[in-house]
Amino acid sequence: MASLDYAYRRLVNTLGPERVARSEFERMVYSHDFASLPKVALLQWKLYPDFVALPQTTEEVAALVKLSDESLLQLTPRGGGTGWYGGSVPNRGGVLVDMRKMNRVVAFDPDGRTVTVEAGMTWKDLEDFVDAKGFALPIVPVNAIGSTVGGSINSGSSGFGAPRGGSLRDAIAVLQVVLPDGTLLKTASEADAGGHLANLTPLFFGAEGTLGIITEATLRIVPKPETSKAIAYAFPSLAAGARFLKEMVDVALVPYHATLASRDHFIFERALHPDSPDPADIALVAVQGSKDEVADQERTVDGLASKEAGAKLAPAVTDQLWRERYNNYSARRLSRGLVTSHNLVPVSRLPEAVETALEIRDKLKLNGAVQAFLVDSTTAALVPYVLMDDTRPSGGTALGFVKRMGDAAFKMDGHSMGLGLFLVFNLRKMHGRATSFISAVKVVFDPRKKINGGKTLEVWTKYPWPGLRAIPPPGMAVGLEIAAVLRRAKPTRDRFVRAYEHGKEE
Amino acid sequence: MGLLRDWNYIERAVQIPALSEVIREALIRALFVRDDRVLPKDLIADLNRVPPVTVKVKDDGEVRKLVRVLNGEESTLSLGLSAEDYHYFRTQLGVGRTREFGAVVRPRTLLTYDWIVPEQRGVQLDFGGYAGIEFADGAHRAIAQVGATWKQLYDDGAAKGHAVPFVPTVPLDFAIGDAMCGDAPFASYRGEFTSYVNALRTISPFGHRARLGFEEVANNGTAYDLLHATVPLAAEFFIPVAVALRLEAKPAARKTLTYAFDDGAKLAAALDKLSRTSQTPSWVHITEAVAAKILRPAVASGAFTAQVTVGGSASGLAAKEKAIDTAMAGFTSKNAELPNPFDVPADGYRKSAEAVARSLFVGEVRVPAKSFGDFAGKVRTFGDQTAAKAGVYGSLRHTGIVSAFPFFSAPKDRSKVYDLSKGVRAIASRIPGTTFTSRLAHLWEEEAHFMRRMAFLRSLKLTIDTAHVVQPLVSP
Repeated sequence: MASLDYAYRRLVNTLGPERVARSEFERMVYSHDFASLPKVALLQWKLYPDFVALPQTTEEVAALVKLSDESLLQLTPRGGGTGWYGGSVPNRGGVLVDMRKMNRVVAFDPDGRTVTVEAGMTWKDLEDFVDAKGFALPIVPVNAIGSTVGGSINSGSSGFGAPRGGSLRDAIAVLQVVLPDGTLLKTASEADAGGHLANLTPLFFGAEGTLGIITEATLRIVPKPETSKAIAYAFPSLAAGARFLKEMVDVALVPYHATLASRDHFIFERALHPDSPDPADIALVAVQGSKDEVADQERTVDGLASKEAGAKLAPAVTDQLWRERYNNYSARRLSRGLVTSHNLVPVSRLPEAVETALEIRDKLKLNGAVQAFLVDSTTAALVPYVLMDDTRPSGGTALGFVKRMGDAAFKMDGHSMGLGLFLVFNLRKMHGRATSFISAVKVVFDPRKKINGGKTLEVWTKYPWPGLRAIPPPGMAVGLEIAAVLRRAKPTRDRFVRAYEHGKEE
Repeated sequence: MGLLRDWNYIERAVQIPALSEVIREALIRALFVRDDRVLPKDLIADLNRVPPVTVKVKDDGEVRKLVRVLNGEESTLSLGLSAEDYHYFRTQLGVGRTREFGAVVRPRTLLTYDWIVPEQRGVQLDFGGYAGIEFADGAHRAIAQVGATWKQLYDDGAAKGHAVPFVPTVPLDFAIGDAMCGDAPFASYRGEFTSYVNALRTISPFGHRARLGFEEVANNGTAYDLLHATVPLAAEFFIPVAVALRLEAKPAARKTLTYAFDDGAKLAAALDKLSRTSQTPSWVHITEAVAAKILRPAVASGAFTAQVTVGGSASGLAAKEKAIDTAMAGFTSKNAELPNPFDVPADGYRKSAEAVARSLFVGEVRVPAKSFGDFAGKVRTFGDQTAAKAGVYGSLRHTGIVSAFPFFSAPKDRSKVYDLSKGVRAIASRIPGTTFTSRLAHLWEEEAHFMRRMAFLRSLKLTIDTAHVVQPLVSP
């Protein structure tokens, strides 16, 4: 391996000194993603990258990939860092490739209804761009403000618009990827509008940056709807709200989006923003179509909500909820850290799923909230989160929640989302005997495990020595299970938010 | 079906760089039409050979056992055949010889044409008798064994309160498995068939049951989405035995609106406009006069017909109809009573499918909606020039693309298929934004990124199927 100083000089020669960082503070910023990690994690992983590189062009990304052949440093691509399972965090240091400087619109084709953007552009910026052009995105990931186009594709995200607009995978026309050998690959044919002619795009959807570095994406766009309307209801319980979402699917109503958040979520919001809606279990539904259709859909939704004793919220409150729809985790500011668990569960079992999430939270004596939204006619996303103070020794035990939630999702015929560094133990649970087929993909594209190695399929440690170089994935599962047990043994319940409940008591 | 095998065969045949550009297209033609003036007789005899043994599958356990025999893990004795069958099986397969033999899934209905390189010595699996469908209680999901017909799924689903969102653009009597081992063109207005596949139950090349995806939910965020990357070629990677499909709830009310157009340009403008609205019909099916005559012989039709099926609440249907009427401006007549090709009794559907199947199909052309009239006109002219009366079936996508299937009333011999395919390719190349995506088009394509993607798929196949059992690749 070349010395780090030599590698630094080569990086600076490639990108310029202003786009290569090696100070401890800068490296620290990149040592975690959205999930806070306990300090003990540094014992097994070198979470701090050796360098942070900020390329601005595809050619620079290709040069970085080729450079890693010389330096033998691992490459870890990173978008907005809004992931939650360590997919964009180094495990052996190396070069962290922050894609956020690649944030331009490359091409806009209103006739072909596509837009080509660089991978580091955030979804919110892209949404604003296409909106200004009279179009809309068929689907916008939930963390649209921070998450980048490349990051969401690598996570296999879902989000706003999925029930109507379909999977994000289907909204991708072509990806441009720098492969581990430094060459470029277009994952589908540009001329082909339907994904035939050997379409490899799905392999990169959810690949967590382990097959190559996505530098550009051509995405489908749709005409703006004639009318769209958001409607919100407060329900007497979270399960009632979940039954309401299920009913929508059962009457063949296809909303643009339908989401549910538990009362606790709004308690956290109220603690931070006094003008936020009154805490309740609230469902937010958006419908689209012609004016008459929207009116008809609203009547249908009203009827379904009233069956579950849902009270319609005032238009001003609904507008506020819709405006703030991308701000899902401001509660993080209450506790310094926040742990989210992303899972997909069958729509038919959503009422059971939300109650299970609340039970697990309570059993582990955590403060947290449950969010869920419809993905398609069979699938709902269940995204509970819990608050965590990672400055306290007991903080890290909150990570046990993710393990327990994932297990519950599997029991309900669903699955947890994301593998990254921390959840690799779920791979075999997900794919069973097909795990070897999945692993074959990495073998074909990156046999030397150069890009984001030691993740998704296996868990590398920072130690290169035989016997210590990797953790058996079940070992990680045991670790998180121990965290959950310790959490449960903790005598008191976390109480990050007191003001709202005290105020009510008075 | 057989795409990787055919592509690999061609690639191996043209490995000599100096010759590749010169001979590639000529070689494809010679192989496709079995041209004995170009190819040695032995080779043609090899290409014309059909798999000697056909196994009618009744249970996936049989497939597992068979795969284990083919990959050498078990002896042929374990098949439990009678002495006579045992001898026949071993002789026909050439067990004990050095040559590889594999298993290939036979489609129930093939829209276009057979593969260039057939299975040389292997076993053909006929899943016609493996045709059960299981619907979930309380959820809109079905698990269909690959031999189940689309029509069976469609009708049974409706009886149980589900809507099957995808329909075959060319209404033939396809099995669900034909989308994975054949070329069944299932799609809806909002998505391709693959969008509705939650999971595949397969038998791996090592004889294990392996499930790709999740039967009850989407597979987002579970590492590489091998499922959706391989659905159209699934039978080249593993042996699919059942597919978990995402259905929808049956709407309270449903209506098929039939619009007649006297001019292709007007139809094209209407389709383009419809795809630019926020309407989400279940499907939009398009026929020009020749296709319409085959599908609805008793009904006089205009030059073009577009059928739009919408579903929703009884009260909301009127609003949808109004919006679609506005988008489809330019039609000469509208009929809300005319049956569509799919909601007919099973016998009627099969009869109509038989009539449709008499035509010669060359594959799919994806054409921008606004150019569809131009495309249909060019296909008709081409048909007239080649004395093969031509027509087109099509279906509109929300992306503004029409998936069009040109057909010809011509004898289905391989040289005719090849020449007509070339003609359609030439037409597609003259219309901006249009792509011919047939299997022959894949073999003709030489764009660098495409070649690389195919090479990756081949490597992936070889890595997954190290036992060389599932349609093993062969070289000339």
